[in-house]
Amino acid sequence: MESEEHKIEVKKVRKVLCIEDEYFIGELYQRALTKAGYAFTVVADGVKALNEAQTDKYDIILLDLMIPNLTGIEILRALRDNKKTPHLKAKIIITTNLEQREDVKADIEKQADAYLVKADLTPKELVEFLNNVQ
Amino acid sequence: MDQLAATKKVFRHHIWLTLFLENIILGLSLYLTINYLNFQLYLDFVISGAVALVFITLVAFFLANYVIQPLSSIRQAILHLSPSGTEPIKSPDIKSLVVGQELVTNLIGQLYEIAKIGHQSAVADGTRSTLSQNFIANSLPLPLFILENNEEIKFVNKVAADYIGLKADDVIGKNVYMILDMSFPTEDTFDVWLKEVKQKTAISTKSWERVRLNVRDNHPTLLFDLAAYYNQGNSDGISTMLILFDHTKQYSQDDQAVSFVALSVHELRTPLTLLRGYIEVFEEELRGKVPQDIENFLDKMQAASEQLTAFVNNILNVARVDDDQLELKLLPEDWGTILFNAIEGLKLQAKVRGITLELNISPNLPKVGVDRLSIQEVVNNLVDNAIKYGNQSKTVKIATKLNGEGLVETTVEDFGVGIPSSVMPNLFTKFYRDHRNRAQIGGTGLGLYLSKAIITAHGGNIWVRSDEGKGSIFGFTLIPYDQLSKELRAEDNNQLIRSAHGWIKNHSYYRR
Repeated sequence: MESEEHKIEVKKVRKVLCIEDEYFIGELYQRALTKAGYAFTVVADGVKALNEAQTDKYDIILLDLMIPNLTGIEILRALRDNKKTPHLKAKIIITTNLEQREDVKADIEKQADAYLVKADLTPKELVEFLNNVQ
Repeated sequence: MDQLAATKKVFRHHIWLTLFLENIILGLSLYLTINYLNFQLYLDFVISGAVALVFITLVAFFLANYVIQPLSSIRQAILHLSPSGTEPIKSPDIKSLVVGQELVTNLIGQLYEIAKIGHQSAVADGTRSTLSQNFIANSLPLPLFILENNEEIKFVNKVAADYIGLKADDVIGKNVYMILDMSFPTEDTFDVWLKEVKQKTAISTKSWERVRLNVRDNHPTLLFDLAAYYNQGNSDGISTMLILFDHTKQYSQDDQAVSFVALSVHELRTPLTLLRGYIEVFEEELRGKVPQDIENFLDKMQAASEQLTAFVNNILNVARVDDDQLELKLLPEDWGTILFNAIEGLKLQAKVRGITLELNISPNLPKVGVDRLSIQEVVNNLVDNAIKYGNQSKTVKIATKLNGEGLVETTVEDFGVGIPSSVMPNLFTKFYRDHRNRAQIGGTGLGLYLSKAIITAHGGNIWVRSDEGKGSIFGFTLIPYDQLSKELRAEDNNQLIRSAHGWIKNHSYYRR
């Protein structure tokens, strides 16, 4: 019995908010992540995504930088603003195919928990990465 | 009421009183003496003389005491204010004064007042207190920093303190490079300029555009133009003045403006992400359930998508090299592990072309200072070339060892077509390819150009030896991390930023 309880604790479902406007990419990530036991929500609009992220019910936020209505950088800044979102529990992981100048990228990396290039990893590799994000 | 006039009035009053009393005593004693002299009695004379003397002495003593009392109070006050020895000196007891209490209170009050001003300026240093009270310095609506000759911050106005998000008191007295972590677009940085003007001139001004200020973690970078003024012989002890013109909003918009290359790369990467995703789904669902030749196609599809990913990254990095935007973060890494992982990632590409990759890693290699992603691209490019041009053979050999010069040397050897000696000198030039192979083998000629740029930025060397018809061997060296950090005199920093490219850090002080 004890070990069963233990199992339940370990299997706590982690919630992922995927802020992504490329529908097919969202679809691929959804397939891989739900298969791996994550709860997955995808939002394609910047403003809606920010509102959703500010509810603070997610463990991981996958944030694309090029999305309509608000840029990923604006969302990142808003989420890191302690007045608007105090102590956000979610890890913010930038997932983008957009290239930045090194210094701009460094600035984004400083505020986010990780910075990934979508083309450099497959959905499975993303899952492996997220499994190691605590 | 005018204090000086009051003092004079009180003083006159007491002088007259003293003179009046003294005259009365003198007259009284003379009168008594003459009276006794009339009786012509010697004894009487002596007695009366003695009585008069004692009387005068007593009166004079009390008078003197009262007269001196105010003076000794003032002396006590001066002693009290002076830096004392071992024993603390008490303040004077003004209330016990019989004569001139008002006068002495006034005088001592003034003494304490003067001492207070002196004390303040001794603590705060004259110029600073003047500056902090200076209307212009404080009301300048731009961030202002004033430095002393030793590059310590002497003054910041409120706007400046607010701009960098610190309190003025936390900034004053600190070294400017500790507080302002600035990066400049060219090598002509603020500290370079300041060093130069200090040696050469007495007065100088200069301005910079697009200076970046790294504030803190979790805080976006500030972008501004900077104007500086230097004056060697300034009597106020001000050596350098800095004024910042904020353009964070405008410049960061420019930063976000996407270049043609970045846009193309984005557009290439999006379908590439999808392709790789779908191939992975097919892998999962079809592997083992379809005929062998279809499985081979799957492998080839995957290899092709990986190759394309690498190529897109190549384009991007070549653009970075050309724009001087390639910035490497050199960390102490285990080279065997990096090389092993890179080769593992290339095995599929080799396999679909029928080539085996042989890897030989010498034991006990020292840690090397490398930028993991960039150096992986070098390995990718060299092995990719070896696979392409080594088609006649079945093997590509990759080996790494410590060479005679104490550098970690890695070689990639193929046994294919080789390179004619006539084209060797141009091999590492952009877009150059062996013309005879151009028709048969794809490629852009970017790989070797990029590899050379990356290896050079690591402080290493890249070289090639080739026998036409027998094969080629490409090699590059990497510097052990310990040696590299000594070279850059930055042993205390775990991350070395090669400044040959990208933004130039203002000063070695930037490490906080």
